[in-house]
Amino acid sequence: MKTAPFPEIVTADGEKPVFKAGDTVFISTRYPVGHYRVPRYIRGKRCVIEAVIEPCGLNNEEEGFGRNAGQKRHYYRVAIPLADLWPGYAGSAADGLRIEVYETWLEGTK
Amino acid sequence: MTHTHDHTPITVPDGVPGYYEIMETAMRELLAEKGIIHPAEIRRQIEVLDSRGPQLGAKVVARAWIDPEFRQRLLANGRAACEELGITFYDDTGLIVLENTEKVHNLIVCTLCSCYPRPVLGLPPDWYKQKPYRARAVREPRGVLAEFGTVISPEVEIRVSDSTSQLRYLVLPLRPAGTEGWTEEELAALVTRDAMIGVSTIEAQERKVR
Amino acid sequence: MTPSEELVRHLPTDMGGLPADRIDCSDHELLPWEKRCHALADVLDYHKILNTEEKRRGVEALGAEMIGKLSYYERWVVAFANILFQKQVLTPEELALKMDDVAARHAREAQA
Repeated sequence: MKTAPFPEIVTADGEKPVFKAGDTVFISTRYPVGHYRVPRYIRGKRCVIEAVIEPCGLNNEEEGFGRNAGQKRHYYRVAIPLADLWPGYAGSAADGLRIEVYETWLEGTK
Repeated sequence: MTHTHDHTPITVPDGVPGYYEIMETAMRELLAEKGIIHPAEIRRQIEVLDSRGPQLGAKVVARAWIDPEFRQRLLANGRAACEELGITFYDDTGLIVLENTEKVHNLIVCTLCSCYPRPVLGLPPDWYKQKPYRARAVREPRGVLAEFGTVISPEVEIRVSDSTSQLRYLVLPLRPAGTEGWTEEELAALVTRDAMIGVSTIEAQERKVR
Repeated sequence: MTPSEELVRHLPTDMGGLPADRIDCSDHELLPWEKRCHALADVLDYHKILNTEEKRRGVEALGAEMIGKLSYYERWVVAFANILFQKQVLTPEELALKMDDVAARHAREAQA
């Protein structure tokens, strides 16, 4: 692990990704009223982070209500086997979903 | 059809405009009257949209097939590589190019709405925006592909990418066998929109007569 | 859980995994007004008056019945109206009056 060249640097809240590629995380289970961008079919599922998307972005749930500014966090491209999503999935066991999820919808443990 | 007002002479087809067309026209005219938009902006944006279509994506694919370094740049940053070819992105979206291989076949969908790589493919077909595709592509991609006449071997992994953020996707299809030595133009002519969505593959074909 | 809660908790546009029919591959060339509607969305986005996410949320807010019965761009234009009213860019009255105006103008032109 590299040491940071500038240890005195303080990053803004949300500036550093919380997760990294390869991490196993869970999609949160919550039910926002109105607008959401995390489809129901992946709620609560375990996934593996394939990539941290750079740069940070706005929370799209809030953007839907006109919030064009504010705190930015990372989106993550995550992988979920289709067999984990659909009981009795009939395709190949290797078939999978890739989807981008905002940091506030991911949890390290369940 | 003549227009007696000095608003944009955007053509209206013969026949009675329906309720929604009237709403769109009224809204646009009000916004222009208030100086919030200008009719020229609408005309210009229509031209922008009309200039985008699968032929652009096909050029990107053909270039990636013959130029391995371009291919790497395309896979690293789809938008930047398209911009190298002069395909500007008029919005804030990014582009991830998904490489098909002998082991992986990619398919793109937007289950929540209709996200689609418009700057490089143009506007999506109706079926892409409708329930059967959006509901089933993430659930039974092989069944969906079969309806398009595409059969993917069980040994090949299918990856379905569901767009939910600012990123859009484009599938980089496998180059068909038997196309060695073809020109970029000949190769681009093989690449279909459906192959760049992932519902089709590009089969070997006869070289087109020049 | 009361039966109506799922209507609130599950957006009608959230279709991933739902049972659905065979895919109908037919397509249609966009009507001129549909193309203008799409251009309007993009121009309003450029002006930071109505962004893509707001448009999506506006369509969702139409509710299941309207979403089912209106076509793609019909949903957009109604959603725009609601959002522009909410942002006080337009008022319901002025849009309604202008719509009558546009309809009357087309009627006159059709007779001419």
